Amino acid sequence: MNKLLAICCCAIISLSASATTQPEDVKSFTLKNGMKILVLEDHSIPNANMYLFWKVGSRNEYPGITGLSHFFEHMMFNGSKKYGPKQFDRVMEAAGGANNAYTSENITAYTDWFPSNALETIFDLEADRIANLAIDKKMVESERGVVTSERTTGLENSNFRMLQEEVKGSAFRAHPYSWGVIGHQSDIDNWSMQDLKQYHKTYYAPNNAVVVIAGDVTVKEVKRLANKYFAPIKAQTKPRKVHTVEPKQIGERRVYVQKPSVSSANILMAFHVPATSHQDYYPLSMLASILGDGRSSRLYRSLVNDKRLATSVFTYMPNSFDPNLFYIYAQASNGVNVAILEKAMITEINLIMSEGVKSKELTKIKNIAQVDLFRTLSTINGKANTLGTYSLFFGSYSKMFDAVSDMSKVTQDDIKRVANEYLVRSNRTVGILDSSEDSKEGDR
Amino acid sequence: MKKYTFALCLAFAVTSFSTLADFKLPKYEKLTLKNGLTVYLMEQHEVPLVDIRMVSKAGAINDGKHYGLATLTGDALSYGSGDLTKKEIEDLFAFHGARFGSNVSLESTSSSLSIASKDMDKLLPVFSDIILKPRFDKKEFDKEKQRYVDRLIQNREQPRNVIGSAFNKLYYGSHPYGNPVEGNISSVKNISLKQVKNFYHSMYTANNSALIIVGDFKTAQLVKDVSVLFSDWKSKKVKTVNLDLMKPADHSKLWLINKEDAIETTFMIGGKGISSSHPDRVALQVINTILGARFTSWLNDELRVNSGLTYGARSRFESHAKTGTFVVSTFTKKKTTFEAIDLAIKTYHRLWDKGIDKKTLESAKSYVKGQFPPRYETSGQLARLLANMWSLNLDDSFINNFQKNVDSLDVAKANQIAKSTFPKENLQFVLIGKAKDIKEKAKSYGEIKEMDINTFEY
Repeated sequence: MNKLLAICCCAIISLSASATTQPEDVKSFTLKNGMKILVLEDHSIPNANMYLFWKVGSRNEYPGITGLSHFFEHMMFNGSKKYGPKQFDRVMEAAGGANNAYTSENITAYTDWFPSNALETIFDLEADRIANLAIDKKMVESERGVVTSERTTGLENSNFRMLQEEVKGSAFRAHPYSWGVIGHQSDIDNWSMQDLKQYHKTYYAPNNAVVVIAGDVTVKEVKRLANKYFAPIKAQTKPRKVHTVEPKQIGERRVYVQKPSVSSANILMAFHVPATSHQDYYPLSMLASILGDGRSSRLYRSLVNDKRLATSVFTYMPNSFDPNLFYIYAQASNGVNVAILEKAMITEINLIMSEGVKSKELTKIKNIAQVDLFRTLSTINGKANTLGTYSLFFGSYSKMFDAVSDMSKVTQDDIKRVANEYLVRSNRTVGILDSSEDSKEGDR
Repeated sequence: MKKYTFALCLAFAVTSFSTLADFKLPKYEKLTLKNGLTVYLMEQHEVPLVDIRMVSKAGAINDGKHYGLATLTGDALSYGSGDLTKKEIEDLFAFHGARFGSNVSLESTSSSLSIASKDMDKLLPVFSDIILKPRFDKKEFDKEKQRYVDRLIQNREQPRNVIGSAFNKLYYGSHPYGNPVEGNISSVKNISLKQVKNFYHSMYTANNSALIIVGDFKTAQLVKDVSVLFSDWKSKKVKTVNLDLMKPADHSKLWLINKEDAIETTFMIGGKGISSSHPDRVALQVINTILGARFTSWLNDELRVNSGLTYGARSRFESHAKTGTFVVSTFTKKKTTFEAIDLAIKTYHRLWDKGIDKKTLESAKSYVKGQFPPRYETSGQLARLLANMWSLNLDDSFINNFQKNVDSLDVAKANQIAKSTFPKENLQFVLIGKAKDIKEKAKSYGEIKEMDINTFEY
């Protein structure tokens, strides 16, 4: 589970004499077909990567094709014109490369990691599946089984996953963030070839992507290969805008999920918050850190360490194109009544609403962000993933370098204000997962 | 996510940097302090970070029957040390963006601290106190122990959390390698603070430990600082554990672990593996890449790509100083449990039935070499590498000859090593799922023993 992605992708301060990446090291250009490309040379290891971010995720779906973005992520590996079924992986691995991919509510990302002498092979493989994907009927059927297994094993092995699906469904009744990225099983079983073909044409267009290449490459060579392989791919009409706005929530919502094998209750609170591009993003992400990042955070100290009501706690606020949710999750200690845990969580939130936070807590969060940025910049994969993320969600990759100074502008009053504005009861959905059946005597 | 993560197949696997360059382990200083403590210092200046790691040869094999003792001891180091309480340590580290952690395995315990290099003077002495002057505060210990027991109970909610230790116990039985690192719920409940202190004083000694520091610092200055900070640590004779090899299994056994609300079956099949210093370990890493340690591996291709039975299937070696295990693992919906098991075994037998061809071997060799450099890219990764090399008594040639060893593997040798090393007979099985529905058929794979996920003890 990605915990509080926000704090992992932060900024930079004075860099002394070290060789740490500077903003001017990142080179950016856009092909005629609208594909945006970022390049960061780093010759510290003889490897490179290519991260392709497509602006398509579960927010682009609708009932009947829920989960299709994620399914598509799988289908992109199942054969195209030049490289037939299985060939994408076989050719890449034989060249020393590996890959993976992930889908979120907002984007689909493909990640290739390879020795730098395989760069042209990677361009060739990617261009072929973007321009000429061949959707094979047999592969679709076997992939339905794979995705079903992925869905099942997630539910079997993650309480958070099971609970979050229900909480989202209740918190959103209009916006497509309502369903899980994996989709409903009945949709996984039923989407058609036509759905798949249309989805690829619409969303896997070069004008709908940001590509980042980092590592042992030269900008010149990347430009040459991008022009050779990606530039000939035709741009498409811009995808339909997701115009649905979730109506304001005006009262608490509650869901209960029974899972007989859990030994203690799990609780997930979710509050509606604005999109990542909103000015309240940093106050909210810093509030999330103050509440739930590490053993010195308020919720850990109070609920886990002092009162011993929970064994673990975390906060999570995903990067998001549209207004989404601010999550607080806790797992109750053995034998603890979940109502008491819930009350203690609310007490901690109320304390920030009434008393605010300390100046030292703000400094701590900024310091953590800064050192975490160095950690991100210590690998070529950290660089590529984070540059792409900032480019997509914050409008420019350069915002990655500004994050700590942007955080410095946040005041104690800002934190108190956003807590009072967003972390209120009427804006809250509470989900509880526990072992007992949801029935009482006289009320089955 | 497209893929179920494919970890490289050896628990401690290293390869060479490049097909072109002759990779050498980055330069480092190795010294031994007067008190016997081994110190490794490796400068790396790409980012202003430093990674500090202390490794002691104190792991779950030293638990005796008190399963979980090494783990509780490793955790207890940071519950207050020197002048600082547990909370003061946590606050200090967090304020400086430092990340502290401890990791206990069968044969060693590591404490690690990642910091910004500008905080070195302030935080290295705190790290030293954590290792040398733990307070072992009773109140904090009792609280953490209770929390840990709760987490062990919660762990049983997810098959993935328990299947590895269950397999180990089934395979090793009463041999110390069968000790569950995390402990049993009942054994942990009975561990006292006194036992933890005893374990610390007998196992955490200068001569039984190595300090590794990698990152943005100047070696000359750090040698002085380290000599001062760690000079008070005493050496003493450490009691060793008898790791004499056990007899190989003479028949197949199957542990069927019931999870009443299971919606899938998770299983692991395996047998004897290799030690960390096995002469063919590099060749076996390449062979296992073909079998089950990459996306196009035989197992993943058959069980996922061709049949859609699972999200991912894989195989791996788990290696220790004296011996190890080899396992194939995956999961599938209840209805296809035996279809998946049979297909996994049939695919595994390709090592003997059809063998490895040249094209596949060359592809795996490229893959293993190509995926190596990012594994040793950061200070933290290099610190872990040096710690592993020290605790397993491996010298630099282990790294520096890797490429040569990969390149020298040909088809005949690969097939010969595969056939003679992978376990073929008397395989052991662990299945976690709804026992009632799979029990009858499960019996045909080996001598069955039934247990419940909530109550079984390792």
